[in-house]
Amino acid sequence: MKTDTGTVKVPIGEEKDFQSAEIWARVTGKAVYGSDFSLPGMLYGKILRSPYPHALVKNIDISGAESLPGVRAVLTGAGLQCKKYGIAVDDELPLALEKVRYIGDEVAAVAAVDPETAERALEAISVGYENLPAVYDPDKALEEGAPQLHEDFPGNTAWQRDLRRGNPDAAFKEADLVVENKFTIPAVHPAYLEPISCVAVYDPYNGLILHTALQSPDSVRAIVARVLEMPLSRVRVIGPAMGGGFGGRVYGNLKLYIISSLLAVKTGRPVKLELTREEEFTVGRPMVSASIKMRMALRRDGKILAREADIITDNGAYSAQAPWVSKTLSERNDSVYRLPAVRTRLRLVYTNKVPTAQYRAYGNQAANFATESLMDMAAGELGIDPLELRLRNCTREGDTTVHGLQIESCALSSCLQEAAKEIGWGSKKEGRGYGLSAAIHANGSLVFDKNFRGSSALARLELDGRVTIFTGEQDYGQGTHAAFALIAARALDLDPQLITVQSGDTLSSPYSTGALAMRQTTIGGRAVQLAARDLREKITRLAAELSGQQVALEKDILAGTSGVPRDFAAVAYYYHTLTSGLNLTGEGKFVPGPADYDESGYGNISLTYSFAAHAAEVEIDRATGALTVHRLVAAHDSGRIVNYRSACGQVYGGVTQGIGMSCYEGYLFDGGRVANPSFADYRIPTSLDVPEIVPLFIETEDPAGPYGSKGIGEIVMVPVLGAIANAVADAAGARVTDLPLTAEKIYEALAGWECAD
Amino acid sequence: MKKQVIIFQLNGEPAEIHIDPAKSLLKVIREEFGLYGTKAGCGKGECGACTVLLEGQAVNSCLIPAGKINGCSVETIENLSRGEDIHPLQKAFAEKGAVQCGFCTPGMIMSAYAFLKSNPRPQPPEVRTAISGNLCRCTGYKQIEAAILAAAPEMDKENKG
Amino acid sequence: MSYLVATSLEEALTYLRDSGGRARVVAGATDLYLKDLPHSLVDLSALPGASVIEEADGLITLGACLTHASAASSILILSRATALAEGCMAIGSPQIRNIATLGGNVVNAAPAADAAVALVALGASAVLVDTGGRSREEAVEDLYVIFNRSAVDSTSEILLKLTIKSCGTGEGSAFTRFAPRRALSLPLVNAAARVRIENGCFREVRLVVAPVKPAPTRLLQTEAMLEGMAPCEETWRLVERAASEEVEVRSSLLRCSARYRNHLVGVLAARVLQAASERAREEEGVDGR
Repeated sequence: MKTDTGTVKVPIGEEKDFQSAEIWARVTGKAVYGSDFSLPGMLYGKILRSPYPHALVKNIDISGAESLPGVRAVLTGAGLQCKKYGIAVDDELPLALEKVRYIGDEVAAVAAVDPETAERALEAISVGYENLPAVYDPDKALEEGAPQLHEDFPGNTAWQRDLRRGNPDAAFKEADLVVENKFTIPAVHPAYLEPISCVAVYDPYNGLILHTALQSPDSVRAIVARVLEMPLSRVRVIGPAMGGGFGGRVYGNLKLYIISSLLAVKTGRPVKLELTREEEFTVGRPMVSASIKMRMALRRDGKILAREADIITDNGAYSAQAPWVSKTLSERNDSVYRLPAVRTRLRLVYTNKVPTAQYRAYGNQAANFATESLMDMAAGELGIDPLELRLRNCTREGDTTVHGLQIESCALSSCLQEAAKEIGWGSKKEGRGYGLSAAIHANGSLVFDKNFRGSSALARLELDGRVTIFTGEQDYGQGTHAAFALIAARALDLDPQLITVQSGDTLSSPYSTGALAMRQTTIGGRAVQLAARDLREKITRLAAELSGQQVALEKDILAGTSGVPRDFAAVAYYYHTLTSGLNLTGEGKFVPGPADYDESGYGNISLTYSFAAHAAEVEIDRATGALTVHRLVAAHDSGRIVNYRSACGQVYGGVTQGIGMSCYEGYLFDGGRVANPSFADYRIPTSLDVPEIVPLFIETEDPAGPYGSKGIGEIVMVPVLGAIANAVADAAGARVTDLPLTAEKIYEALAGWECAD
Repeated sequence: MKKQVIIFQLNGEPAEIHIDPAKSLLKVIREEFGLYGTKAGCGKGECGACTVLLEGQAVNSCLIPAGKINGCSVETIENLSRGEDIHPLQKAFAEKGAVQCGFCTPGMIMSAYAFLKSNPRPQPPEVRTAISGNLCRCTGYKQIEAAILAAAPEMDKENKG
Repeated sequence: MSYLVATSLEEALTYLRDSGGRARVVAGATDLYLKDLPHSLVDLSALPGASVIEEADGLITLGACLTHASAASSILILSRATALAEGCMAIGSPQIRNIATLGGNVVNAAPAADAAVALVALGASAVLVDTGGRSREEAVEDLYVIFNRSAVDSTSEILLKLTIKSCGTGEGSAFTRFAPRRALSLPLVNAAARVRIENGCFREVRLVVAPVKPAPTRLLQTEAMLEGMAPCEETWRLVERAASEEVEVRSSLLRCSARYRNHLVGVLAARVLQAASERAREEEGVDGR
């Protein structure tokens, strides 16, 4: 067994703190976000939505709307010839054709000269509905005779998985202890602060341009081209500044992009569509809710023998990425500990509710809440310290995990020990509760698109000697551009201030799946590193050619004997002259090998893996159940840290989102209606709700990532849920298994109330 | 829709508009004056992205009817910088990692600006209360708090100088 | 819509009268866009004395357009009507507190409005004047008709000011709330109390909780029980039980179950009484020295 190689590094000092150039526009209020964007002659679109959770559309009369002055287009499903589309499965149409499946389903769309006229046009459309029985509870949706949402998906099952590794039956039979419980996690919204908007521009000669900020513009571009049956090169996506993403803007709101495009094609004018905050919650795409029945078999000495899970995820009316989220939820967390055997059954179920998609960490956090809760239950039963139980089982460097993940760098045990030490595990305060949790998260996927496993980048030498990096990876404040500038700076021996990173326009950027799956620093960063190295070689070669002698490059100075150009600008200009106008450009093509990945999903799905352990200290007011999280220590193995300022920002922000999901957030439904579609009632943490957060970086040297680095953006929120749930259980002496951990639920557990009335 | 003439001070200059007085100050700032630095996050006073100063106090511009600003002074994020000369708060936000996506930033800075004007030497809990009406989804508020605390002496110096 | 920022009471009343019910009074206007917009609005915030805070002969007078922020930071209110300062500080966010007014908090008639709950506990009166020139003074708790509907008709009557008997020797007040989040949040339950302690025993207790009924609700039985009792652990236990038993509350999908809310009513009633009585004893001690 290898031991961890990590070393603790508390990020103090300024040595690796760097801010990319976008900051200027953002602090001065000059950054143009999608919601700020407009064009001359632009029309305003609005969407008519179903008021019913499940109904047949019998007729739509648009004549009143069409005859209103100022209305330029009215669209209905019947007027379109679109095929069904989707992300993981094809189950959506741009506008409802025969039936609507949730409150908010798109029925008709208008474009008018101003928003008020568009609103009046919606009021002038009359739709005849025939109500159908609806189903909201996924358990009920699976029953015989339940209302059926989609003909193509009988039994309301959108996706399912039955998975077995090893021999769980034997393991449960030989176990000294079996712990089990049922955990529920509500749908949660990424709650980026800027509602999604899109301005679509079309002309028959130049094709379609979408001005909208996306984490994965290339993926959206491909779907829009497919739905509108346009050649791919005729669709371009240009990203304005993005007001937050967190997974919610990987595909964003596809309906909005498609409908604005259709309206732009029909009117020949730019059309802007934007969601209201309420629409963000009612028709935007939260992450699937989950109900997890889980049990774990252990030996007396604490060794985990197996774990079983029966999981139901609630898809809502349409799928988007819910199948993929469900897949990650069903397996990723199993690689935190050395599990010899696993059995998992997951069903993703259609219901007449808001369609779902993804959120930062892709369901891994939901599984973390269940597994880590069971770990503490087991520790209690076995009389083993929860830290010790984790250390006895945690994954280590060199392991191949139960699902075939190959762990090349791993400081998980150090993360656990350092997090515990920092929280005061050995000297716990009276009246406080303490909890630990551990996590793994992949750095990109080698199997998501088997033909696109890596990333590419261009490094272009400008005539003034500066360098521009072109990448398909996206920055919306999380620090990708800063990281890329630092990586390129190191490869080129150039001041990072002289490097500009360019992304967000599909015409000029290399293709990428974009900002998702924690792939940017590791995979995108490798491409940038290679592009910068390529450029460096070309610069020295040309400098040698120019001066007719050997040239070395050191600290951005080209060195040789006399007559050597001293700086990059001279080389840039030489190449420019030589080619009558080209810029010297380095190419970076990072193409990882294919994964050995079988039908059951066994194999090394990612280039590398990040690890984390969090420790929480909480206090409970026993009279009311009110929870105060005092401190959260976040120990992370994200390899070598590229930029401490951004890495800390990811930790603070991700932990805060984890606290939101643990303590405050979650969709509430009244039948099929979202009952809390506002920031007043969907409560994300305010500045007064965030505890002291202590980031600790246990730096390993990863062999795959650029300069030993690994990703951090998603894993930051994964362990929060388990750490807080365990700290609450420690403080209360009773466990809450239904998120969020509200004061009411904690009090119910304390008081031994059966359930809420 | 009946319109009225509204006369007020916008970023230190006299402003006059002929407008439906029910229109929100947020829309007035953005649509009538093209000052898009003030952001629209919820339209209901629940996120703080639209925070501006009205008579020197932080308010949610999405909740203020235009009729109410007659005779008042209004200050937006655009008033804090002149060319390359940026306000100590903006500088601190840039340097301390207080900005990620940046959508909450203008409102956050305006809340901090109003607060520091009357509290030149704040304690951390006071800073947290001062920005408790400004939601930020990216940062967890930590680096924002640090930036405001760092800007306080600079801003105090500037005000005294 | 037309919007008048009235500069005199006469102007405001005349405007309302001439509008024949189509004009409505507004102050901070924070809830304006939550309802249908009226034909016209009369903004009272610039009226002379609209934001006054003054004390004379043991009576505090507050202009109805006083903002929550001003009330929360007033030394007079902090020391002589502490519950109100605490209630005002609890609302929404700094931005909301800078614009929302005490009068609006009362006339908007939300059942758990923090300032209104404190005002009722303090025994505040509202001074009103209508378009017919009639003036009346009512206890704040009498200004509620049904949930979210005030007895003040904003098309014909103006809430001018609020008066509170200032807390003197042996008196104290407090406000508390229980909310799911520390800012930008409505309370699950809020409570306020005003007490007088004489010879170590409760006299003249006013104990208010919400949301129970359309108006902030006095717990008359608990108040009566407390008369003559000493502020001590045993008393808090009795208050907790008595307060919970005295009210019937509703379940709400967005807030909490009735059972939990009922429990919270008891806990908060006891806590707010304890806080108020500690202040009363401080006052007693300071003045008796």
